[in-house]
Amino acid sequence: MSETDFTQTEEPTPGVDDTGSETTAGETDERVREEWTDYSFAGDAKLSVEDLDVYYGDDHALKGVSMDIPEESVTALIGPSGCGKSTFLRCLNRMNDRINAARVDGSVELDGEEIYQDGVDLVELRKRVGMVFQAPNPFPKSIRDNISYGPRKHGDLDTGLVARLLGRDDADQELELVEQSLRQAALWDEVEDRLDDNALGLSGGQQQRLCIARCLAVGPDVILMDEPASALDPVATSKIEDLIEDLAEDYTVVVVTHSMQQAARISDQTAVFLTGGELVEYDDTGKIFENPESQRVEDYITGKFG
Amino acid sequence: MSLGTDASTGSAGAIVTGDSSTRELLSGGLVAVSFASFVVSLLAVAQYVPADAAIGGVTLATVLGGALAVVGLGVVALGAGSYAGAFETEPGQTGGLVSAAFVGALWFAVGGLVGAQTLGLSLTWPVLAVVTGGVGGGVALLAREDLGVTLSTGLFVLLSGLVVLTGLVGPGWRWSPEGFSITVTAVVGIPVITLFAALVGAWTAARVYGGFGPQGRQLGAHMLIGTNAAGMLALLGSIVGFIVVRGFGPMTEGIKYGLYWGPWTWFNPPLVDTWVVVEGPIVWFYWPFVMEGYSTLGAGVDGVLPAIVGTVWLVAGAIVFAVPLGVGAAVFLTEYADKGRFTFLVEISTNGLWSTPSIVYGLFGLAFLVPRLGNTNSILAGQLVLGFMLLPLVVITSRESLKSVPDEYRDASAALGVTKWETIKSVVLPASLPGVITGIILGVGRIAGETAPILLVTTSSPFPSEVAGVVEGGFRFTSAFPFVAVPDVNLIQSSSALPYQLFAVIGAGLGENLDFAWGTALVLLLVVMSFYAVGVASRIYFRRKLNQ
Repeated sequence: MSETDFTQTEEPTPGVDDTGSETTAGETDERVREEWTDYSFAGDAKLSVEDLDVYYGDDHALKGVSMDIPEESVTALIGPSGCGKSTFLRCLNRMNDRINAARVDGSVELDGEEIYQDGVDLVELRKRVGMVFQAPNPFPKSIRDNISYGPRKHGDLDTGLVARLLGRDDADQELELVEQSLRQAALWDEVEDRLDDNALGLSGGQQQRLCIARCLAVGPDVILMDEPASALDPVATSKIEDLIEDLAEDYTVVVVTHSMQQAARISDQTAVFLTGGELVEYDDTGKIFENPESQRVEDYITGKFG
Repeated sequence: MSLGTDASTGSAGAIVTGDSSTRELLSGGLVAVSFASFVVSLLAVAQYVPADAAIGGVTLATVLGGALAVVGLGVVALGAGSYAGAFETEPGQTGGLVSAAFVGALWFAVGGLVGAQTLGLSLTWPVLAVVTGGVGGGVALLAREDLGVTLSTGLFVLLSGLVVLTGLVGPGWRWSPEGFSITVTAVVGIPVITLFAALVGAWTAARVYGGFGPQGRQLGAHMLIGTNAAGMLALLGSIVGFIVVRGFGPMTEGIKYGLYWGPWTWFNPPLVDTWVVVEGPIVWFYWPFVMEGYSTLGAGVDGVLPAIVGTVWLVAGAIVFAVPLGVGAAVFLTEYADKGRFTFLVEISTNGLWSTPSIVYGLFGLAFLVPRLGNTNSILAGQLVLGFMLLPLVVITSRESLKSVPDEYRDASAALGVTKWETIKSVVLPASLPGVITGIILGVGRIAGETAPILLVTTSSPFPSEVAGVVEGGFRFTSAFPFVAVPDVNLIQSSSALPYQLFAVIGAGLGENLDFAWGTALVLLLVVMSFYAVGVASRIYFRRKLNQ
C-alpha cells in the first residue's frame, strides 16, 4: 500500500464502514482504518505522531502511522514479529538515527514540539524520552555507577576526583538520586547493601529493573520499553509489570510487547500493528480485546493469525 | 566401571554396561607403556639419553623395541578379542574415513621407505607404497572398527618395534637415501621410529580403552590432543630451561650482599640547630652482571647494564609512541568511520605493516629517521622504529577488542542521551581494555627482542661499558616536590640493547665469552617476562573490574 491510497480514502462513508467490519477484505480495512486509529481521549497528548513513514534502505518498514499518546498512562504496542512496532518505538526518541540506512518521514511532537526538525538537541530529547531495551543491558560497572552514569555525563552530578579533592563533589546528591531511582524501580531493598558490586552479578529481572532505574535517574517524562519482560521468567515479569503500572502514575509509558495478556493486564490503550508496518487499530485496551472493529485485529487477538 | 548387574548384558539401550575392567586394565597398561616409550624416545631424540645406553645389560633401543612389540601385539590381540566377543565393546561398522586416511598414509610411508631401500629410486617404489597404503587404509576403513583399526595400526607398531628390537635398525645403522645428500644414523633413526610408533600405539590403545565407537574415538582424540598440549609445554619448558641452566651461572657471578651500619637520614631541627643523624643497618647488594657495563680492561665481571637500560628505554618509548596512536586510530575506525573502502584500505595496510620484515623498518629508520634526528644512531630513532612496528598490532588488536564490545552498551548509553565520545570514553574503552592490553603484551614481546632495526638505527659500540646517559647530569630522587631531578633528557645518542648485545657477543666469535652470551640471553628473557608480568597483571585487574 502506498501513500496515495490514503489520500483516496480520506473520508470513508458509514456504509462502507459497516461492510468493512463484516468482511475480511484487506482493502476495506484500509478505508476505515483511519477511523479505527483516530483514538480520542480526555487530557493532553504527550506524544503526537503524524503520518510517520520509516524506510530501511528500500524496505518500507512503517507506513503512514498517526497516533496520539496520552500522558501518564500505559500505551501498549502489539503485533506480530516484523510489524514495525519496535521501529515505531525507536522513532519516538530518535534512536533510529543511529541506523545509517534508516530514513524517517513525518512528524512526532513531544508536548507540541516537533522532534524531527533541525536544531533538536538529541541529548535533551533522550533525557526526556528514556528507553528500556528487550535484553537487560546494564554497563559492566557498579550498581551505583550504572544509576549515576547518565546524570554524571550530563554534568548534573560531579563525583570526579578533582571535585572530590576540592570538596565540591555531589556525593550526597548522588546517593540520594541512586536511592530514589532504585526505590522507584522497586530494587532498593534488594541491592542497598551492595551498591558498589558489579551490576552484571544481578539476576536478569534485577538487571532489567536496574535498567529502568538507570533510565529514571535521568529524569524523563516518557519511558519507552521494547519488550522489557520477554527475556525474563514469570516472577520477574510480574514484578516488571507491577512496576510499569506504578510508573504510569508519574510517567507516560509506551511499551512494545509480544504478549497480548501482558498488554491486556498493564495497558490503558493498545495499538495493534499488523504485518507490513501499518497501524490497524488503536483504542482503549478493553475495546481492542473485547470488541475490535477490524476483522484482522480480531483474528490476531483470538490467535487465528500472526 | 564394574557397576553392571547380571541383567545388563550390554544390549542396545542398556545404560549400565557390563564389566569392562579386564579390557580397561589391559588397554590402560598399553597406553601407559606407549606413553612411557614416547617420553623416552623424546629424550633420546633430544640426545639426553643415547639410544645405545645400556639398561640392565640390554640397550635402550632393545627395550623400546620390545615395548613397542608388546604394544603392537597387545593392541591386535585386544582388537581380535573384541571382534570375537571376548570383551564388551561398541565398535562402529567402519574405522571412519579420517582414521583410515591416517592409517593409509602411515602404511604408504612404510611401503615407500621399504621400497626405496630395497628397490632403489625406481618406478617401483611408489607402486609398493600405494599398495601398502591402500591395504592398510582399506583394512582400517572397510573392516569392523575393532578389527580394522587395531590390526592396521597394531601391525605398524609391531613392525616398528621388531625393526628396532632385531637390530635391523641397530646401533651401527646408517642410511644415506639415494638422491639426498644426508645421512641418517641410528642416534636419530631409532628414537624417531620409536617416537612415532609409540604415539600411534598410544592412540590405538586409547581407542580400545574407550571400547571403540564414539567413546573410543573421543579418548583417542584426547590422547593426541593432550600429548600435543604437553609437547608445547615441554618445548617452552626446555627452551626456557636451557637458557636458565646455561645463563644462571654467568648471570649471578660475583653477587655480593651484606649489612653495614650507616646513617639512614639526617636533619637539622630549627631550634636545636645541630645535625641529628639517625643510624641503622643498611643492606647492600652488588650484582655485577646487571649493575656494571662491559669491563674494558678485562678486569672484574662483564656486565650488561647499558644494554638493559637501552632495552627498557626503547620499549618504553615505543609503547608511549604507539599505544595512544594505535588505540586512537582503532577508535576512529571502529566507532566513527563508516565501513567502506577507506576502512578496508586501512585494514589492508595495517595487516601489511604487521607482516613487514623488521629489517625493512630498520632500513627505513636508517635512511629517513637517522639523518633527521641528529644524524647519529640514537635511542629516539630506535624508539620510533620499534613504535612503527608496534603500531599495526595495537591497531589490529584494539579494533578486534572494540568490535567485541556489545552494541547494547552503546545503545543503552545513547538512549540515556549521552554523547558518542562520552560513551566511548566511559563505557566502550574500559570494556575493551583487557583486549587492548593483550595486544600490547604481544607486541612488546616482539619488539623487545628485535635486533635488526636496533642494529641499524640505535647501536654503535658492541660492548659498551657506560650506560647511555639518557638523563644527563644524573637522575636522582630528591626530597622536594616532584621528588625526582631530571636535568636534561637526551635521547639523541646511541645505546646498546639486550638482543643486539647478544648478537654482538655471538658475532664476535669469542669462545670464552659464550657464558656472557647465555647470561645476556637470560637477562633478556627476564626483562621481556617482566614486561609480560606487568601486562598480564593489569589485564587481570581490568577484567576483574569489569566482571565483578
